[in-house]
Amino acid sequence: MVKELQEKVKQLFKDKKVDMVIGWRKGSLPLSSSPLFINKIEDVDNLIFDETCQNNLAVYITKDKRRLVKDGKKIGVIVKGCDARSLVLYCVEKQIKRENLVIIGVPCKGVFDKRKVMEQVDNKEVLGFSVNGKEVTIKGQEFEKTLDKFEIASDSCQSCVYPDAPVFDEFITEPRKEKPDIDEFAKVDKFEELSLDDRWKKITDEYSKCVRCYACRNVCPSCYCNVCFVDQNDPQWIGKSPEITDTIIFHLIRNLHVAGRCVECGACARACPEGIDLLLLNKKITKEIKERFGYTAGINIDEKPAMQSYCENEKQDFIMG
Amino acid sequence: MIKIEKNKFDEFLEILKKEYNVFAPKKEGAQTSFKEIKFAKDIEFNNINTKIPKEIFFPQAEELFMYKDSKIENIEKKKAIAVWGVRPCSAKSFILIDKIFGRAKQKPGDKNFEDPLWKTKYDDSLVFTIGCNTPASTCFCNWVDCGPFDSTGSDVMVYDDGNGFLLEGISKKGIKFLSDIKDFEESNDKDRQNIEVLKNIAETMLSKPIDKDLLKVKIDKSWNHSIWDEMSAKCINCGACTYNCPTCHCFDIQDEGKSNKGKRIRLWDSCMFPDFTNEASGHNPRDLSKDRFRQRFMHKFKYFPENNGDYLCTGCGKCIQVCPVNVDVRDVLNKIIEF
Amino acid sequence: MDNTYIPVQMKVENILIEDPAKTLRTFDLSFINSEDKERFKYMPGQFCEFSILGRGESPFGIASSPTEQDFLRFTVNRTGLVTNEIHYLQKGDEVGIRGPLGNWYPVEKFKGENVVIVGGGFAFTTLRSLLIYLLEHRKDYGEITVIYGARNPDLFIYKDEIAEWEKRDDLNLHLTIDKEVDGWNKMVGFVPTVVKELAPKAEKTWCVVCGPPIMIKYTLPVLVELKFPNDRIYTSLERKMKCGIGKCGRCNIGSKYVCIDGPVFSLEQLNTISEAF
Repeated sequence: MVKELQEKVKQLFKDKKVDMVIGWRKGSLPLSSSPLFINKIEDVDNLIFDETCQNNLAVYITKDKRRLVKDGKKIGVIVKGCDARSLVLYCVEKQIKRENLVIIGVPCKGVFDKRKVMEQVDNKEVLGFSVNGKEVTIKGQEFEKTLDKFEIASDSCQSCVYPDAPVFDEFITEPRKEKPDIDEFAKVDKFEELSLDDRWKKITDEYSKCVRCYACRNVCPSCYCNVCFVDQNDPQWIGKSPEITDTIIFHLIRNLHVAGRCVECGACARACPEGIDLLLLNKKITKEIKERFGYTAGINIDEKPAMQSYCENEKQDFIMG
Repeated sequence: MIKIEKNKFDEFLEILKKEYNVFAPKKEGAQTSFKEIKFAKDIEFNNINTKIPKEIFFPQAEELFMYKDSKIENIEKKKAIAVWGVRPCSAKSFILIDKIFGRAKQKPGDKNFEDPLWKTKYDDSLVFTIGCNTPASTCFCNWVDCGPFDSTGSDVMVYDDGNGFLLEGISKKGIKFLSDIKDFEESNDKDRQNIEVLKNIAETMLSKPIDKDLLKVKIDKSWNHSIWDEMSAKCINCGACTYNCPTCHCFDIQDEGKSNKGKRIRLWDSCMFPDFTNEASGHNPRDLSKDRFRQRFMHKFKYFPENNGDYLCTGCGKCIQVCPVNVDVRDVLNKIIEF
Repeated sequence: MDNTYIPVQMKVENILIEDPAKTLRTFDLSFINSEDKERFKYMPGQFCEFSILGRGESPFGIASSPTEQDFLRFTVNRTGLVTNEIHYLQKGDEVGIRGPLGNWYPVEKFKGENVVIVGGGFAFTTLRSLLIYLLEHRKDYGEITVIYGARNPDLFIYKDEIAEWEKRDDLNLHLTIDKEVDGWNKMVGFVPTVVKELAPKAEKTWCVVCGPPIMIKYTLPVLVELKFPNDRIYTSLERKMKCGIGKCGRCNIGSKYVCIDGPVFSLEQLNTISEAF
């Protein structure tokens, strides 16, 4: 598959269909990959795709005041299903013109959550891994452990119903016809069953770990405000200390800012150095929006987003809780 | 050098607790971080992969002073701190931060520039550093004038030979502390030989260091080079690296409260954030992601060495572990050398 | 405990609105405690952290001269959170000051020689301090030339004093505005251009430049062209600051910190720093 991907990207360069391609290369650690910016054909050989390719590369389109986006410049982005949805979101929100994007889909079989792997091997140093169907063998200095791949996959992958790009220009191999048979909101349902107090406790427990490094916000393709509200100084909306009252406002407002725009890629949760379950509330909001407005973000470029359309018969009783 | 068997650690802790508030690695949930410890059973002895102990002396949020009705209340001195089980890369980081926060007068006529919050905690502290028998693959302490058994910044070096801990006094404070405590066995020649063996094994587990002279030559010439564009392309400018770095010490000052009652606090800040240098006029001297990325590495490997003689990095590899986009400081240094 | 972050208490003695748009105000402060006054020894070019409890701190160059014993003067442009709050201050209000911070213009080196002062807009603050200091020690210095530019006549600060300086015969004062306006009979043109036109002689002369970054950027090459040696050209730089004492890490240009190695730098120094321009 990786060979096919490399050939396809080379062909795109030869045919002058792209000016640059963003993909993944092997990372410096066994369980990590690294974003790769390909500007010339020789660099294509570094391209990989496997379970370590956890970054949502769409984020680079809006990074640094959309420095990469220039009229007439075509950017190819290699995408899993969720990443493709971010690109669709960008087209909908006019961050980039569709014709400036070449969406290259790859068949995603889920990405690792490094933290889950580390827990499974008692935080021992991992030196390598191999995948065999639904099993993953993790190798270390003096151990080898075989794990169920689903168990160590990112939360977002465990609940993913769009593993393949819903919109693409190229697809390596064939996109799957059937949606995965997965209850995408299983964790949300469980959360909803908790009492109000327990739900609040869960949220405060998680968000109290926050150190305000903003890794979640910065890896999130949906978070691209020129100046984030937490960085505004005049007026200053919230305190900057890692106290729960301030961190919770940061996270809840971020949840609401990405309401109907979150593609549930889980990049936020994987980026968090404190291991906060950042996906849960986003997923909860995604569920509400799907149920109430029948809208899922990043699936269809021509569909009006839930937060930008109004129907008279919309329910008005949506309040979290 | 004295010997403490692991099952006798409680006794040792009791002695330590008399004069000190003791901090040591404690496992809470999935994370192991340095917390105040009351009982030996709470200490996580085996995990090399703890969070960095910077917070003990330099908390993420800390009061500079309180005020009430325009009367200012100074901070109070607390009981001295002992830290058990920091790694050599962290012990050295204390010395590096102390070069900034502990710095008194710069030139004649200057005001006293010592940082009172740092000094009241760090100056009286007792640092027990545990040697690293098995460095991790992300460790590169040997690249930056540190090492798995480096004692810089330590009051007492601790060696774990499997059966127990061997304690060696390093600083005057450390030597005095060890000479004052009784009831523990002295180490013998065999113990000392064992330590040498451990040290030798650890050394072999580390990668070959970079050429430091070449790094100096190259980094001095790198300012306008395209490597900074290439290397910074993937950086998303979050603060994960800086907040998990034992040597990063930049901070913000904020007021919390109203005009008649509140506090002035300082908070960790990060050179990765645009707001770090963004001026009230809207002008930002480090506007681009590249500018901020370059500042971080220039500060660590050029500016700090120029001003203070050391790299502002102890090779702990934490930034490599936490970076969401796999920015690896070793790759950065290699790229600088190779351009 | 000696806590360097605690400001000393000051009282607002006098407030002067400098421009019709009221964006520039000058505050004269006096020390509440006499020991603080005793301890506070400063030189022209140094700055302070001006503190409003509950709002924060902001650095400003000291506009008064150490020869003026009774007050400490700051001129504040209204731009952000703290400066807004400072503009609300009333006579008699209490504020805090941390300082003096940073280095100063090397007035000792200037002795017996000529001094050219080039300033722009409301950045004339520490230049006022310098000028008052030089005039107070007039016989120690040679010719003193001041070239001061503003966008329009309203935006000069210290207008009353300027009128007095104009009357002096031991001071060459040149005022310029960016664009011609009715009733203006002095020079017209941007500061770098005017400096070039006036071409003050470089021999046995020191030059101090302070103004908006863009003005500094274009004035320095003119001075070099006029044969001022790099080590005789001084300028004062600004960066976002918090601690003001070389700890918080944000105001560096290259390996130099504006708060402790500056704010005053010679062009010779700046030429060795990649990040300077």
